[in-house]
Amino acid sequence: MDIGNSTTEACVAAIDPDGTVHYLGTDLTHTTGVKGTPDNTAGALTAVRGALHRAGRRAGEVTTVLLNEATPVISGLAMETITETIITESTMIGHNPTTPGGTGLGVGTTVSIDDLAEQEPGSPVVCVVPHGWDFDDTATAVDRAVGRGVDVVAAVLAGDDAVLVTNRLTVPIPVVDEVAAVEKVPLGMLAAVEVAAPGRTIRTLSNSYGLATVFGLDPDQTRHVSPVARALTGNRSAVVVRTPSGDVTDRRIPVGELVLRGAGKSLRVDVDAGADAIMETLARVQPLDDAHGEPGTHVGGMLAQVRDTMADTMADGAADLVEVSDIAIRDVLAVDTFVPAEVRGGLAGEVALENAVALAAMVRTSRSRMQLVADLVSDGLGTATAIGGIEGEMAVSGALTTPGVDRPVAVLDLGGGSTDAALLTREGECSAVHVAGAGELVTKLIDSELALGDREVAEAVKRYPLAKVESFFHIRHEDGTVQFFDEPLPPQVFARVVVLTSDGPVPVPTRHALDHVRRVRREAKRRVFVVNAVRALRQVAPGANLRALDFVVLLGGSALDFEIPDMIADALAGSGIVCGTGNVLGTEGPRNAVASGLVRAYAADSVAAVPDAPAPGLAG
Amino acid sequence: MTAGDGRPAVLVYRHPDAPPAALREVCAGAEEEGVPTVVAPVGEAPAGSDAPAGGDATALAHAAALASRLDVGIGLDAGGMAVVHHAKLPARSPAASTGPGAAPPDWRRAGRTAARVVKGLPLG
Repeated sequence: MDIGNSTTEACVAAIDPDGTVHYLGTDLTHTTGVKGTPDNTAGALTAVRGALHRAGRRAGEVTTVLLNEATPVISGLAMETITETIITESTMIGHNPTTPGGTGLGVGTTVSIDDLAEQEPGSPVVCVVPHGWDFDDTATAVDRAVGRGVDVVAAVLAGDDAVLVTNRLTVPIPVVDEVAAVEKVPLGMLAAVEVAAPGRTIRTLSNSYGLATVFGLDPDQTRHVSPVARALTGNRSAVVVRTPSGDVTDRRIPVGELVLRGAGKSLRVDVDAGADAIMETLARVQPLDDAHGEPGTHVGGMLAQVRDTMADTMADGAADLVEVSDIAIRDVLAVDTFVPAEVRGGLAGEVALENAVALAAMVRTSRSRMQLVADLVSDGLGTATAIGGIEGEMAVSGALTTPGVDRPVAVLDLGGGSTDAALLTREGECSAVHVAGAGELVTKLIDSELALGDREVAEAVKRYPLAKVESFFHIRHEDGTVQFFDEPLPPQVFARVVVLTSDGPVPVPTRHALDHVRRVRREAKRRVFVVNAVRALRQVAPGANLRALDFVVLLGGSALDFEIPDMIADALAGSGIVCGTGNVLGTEGPRNAVASGLVRAYAADSVAAVPDAPAPGLAG
Repeated sequence: MTAGDGRPAVLVYRHPDAPPAALREVCAGAEEEGVPTVVAPVGEAPAGSDAPAGGDATALAHAAALASRLDVGIGLDAGGMAVVHHAKLPARSPAASTGPGAAPPDWRRAGRTAARVVKGLPLG
């Protein structure tokens, strides 16, 4: 039996006196509780009984239950944004409403529509319309003012009325709508409103010199407004108001320093230097003994949070409390990411892509309580239990039952919390490593980069291919294949990007096109699994040389993913490695490797204990 | 055959007693999205139209969708309930409905939804 972070796998086998193994049945179920804690017992019993049922055997026939020596590896995640966009004095509106009105550029002084009747003709005016104004009344008021000779050049609306207003004006003007906090637009200031034609983006307000021309700025002031231009790039509409000290700043948040200790030295790296710098520093202190964040900084908080969570889970139900200071972080994976965050000071819920760093940390403790689980399983089944074998060695042994695999073989166990690699050399020596970052981090990256705010949806995006619902009766898959349905698709998925789960299409709540969602998904998988596959294999490969590896077998839940195995195989292809998803026992796919390996090891041991027995045909 | 001179438009079939405010908002919702509407009071439906001479909002909407060159119709009943329908959908399974007791924002949304069915944009 193998109790993993997310699944518990069992396999039943009969062993002949000569050591020949007959596999009778397998089963898997969700792991109950945190791996290595007594809570695991329920899941373990379910898996054993399931496997026995499939094998057509009774619990009373079982001689011994073999349990894995669970590697006490727990992982934690933290994410922190390192940039922040702030708009001061409400100088900019750049939220891209779906339907702005009119086209062109209008530059004038901001005047509330309530005061438009008293406005003297002369200078150009940008009309600001608060909530509660009907589109007919707005158009009438503007037309009346224009009739009196007031030069109304543009309008900014609270409601979703821009096209309706523009359609009713005698002389159409550019109109930006859906500005929720329109009452904060400063009045009596010079403002520019630009709306591009459908399918185009604004040209003037997203150009620093365009802004300089519109507002008559000197070179120094132009330097000052260039972040505004940058923030508006790619928009179809925008409003910029010139106020005495209004500004859009792109601030870097000091996140603090990460202190990495290992290999007899202690190195510091600024987290806002990005993932590459962190990983490069980490490589210089391998093997890592511990990692700390400067107290009082964001990174200090991030790591403290990871440590606290781990202390809690490990102490859960235990008589002896785990000291937070006992928990050493043995590996870190830093990933550059971006988080769409609402802009501080924005008037229309503007969102800016802020840079962020995600950290996965892995902790090793000496406190596995697998013996407790073994005792409980023993009570539950009324049989003997034995804890045996290092997980990595057992996984390699199980992987060797995959058709077409031979020594030297490396396995990559793509799990939820950590990515594990183990190598079995031709001579039979085994080495194993665990690196931080796996499926959970991928889910987290997808969740934050698409601003889903829903772990379940992010998990579905990770797990299933995408499609676009193109009509009530057909969808286009992400590879371009079109599929028709006899029954109409529900209206809530109409025209949406969906994930094709086993329960049918589920909408992904995003304004992004399918291509963008797909890119985010694949990039998240690449940055975690491909990076970690190479990193972990380098650590077990002789001389850190990937070319020294022959066979790489992918195991674990994420080896069942529809694209991760291909991405890893692609990345390793250049090193002349045979890489593929394992097929344990020729039937189990990437599952059950550790459980099968435990049986093989037990059979080999039982034969070795009887010197006269004929040599079993097990090894290799 | 089709109402509204055969111009591509979302057809709105309304009960003669439908609130004028509802009709205004429904049409505004579609107009804001840039899709034209043609209104046909069911009592005065053009000859040859298969608009029912009454009925509930869903039946009106389905008839309007069948008559629309864009395959999209809106039905507005006497109580102000607005239903959006597509010609290819089953008669009793409309694309959207305001339900009874609708308010102006609901009517506006119904018009917008109809336009979005035409444009192939998410309905939300």
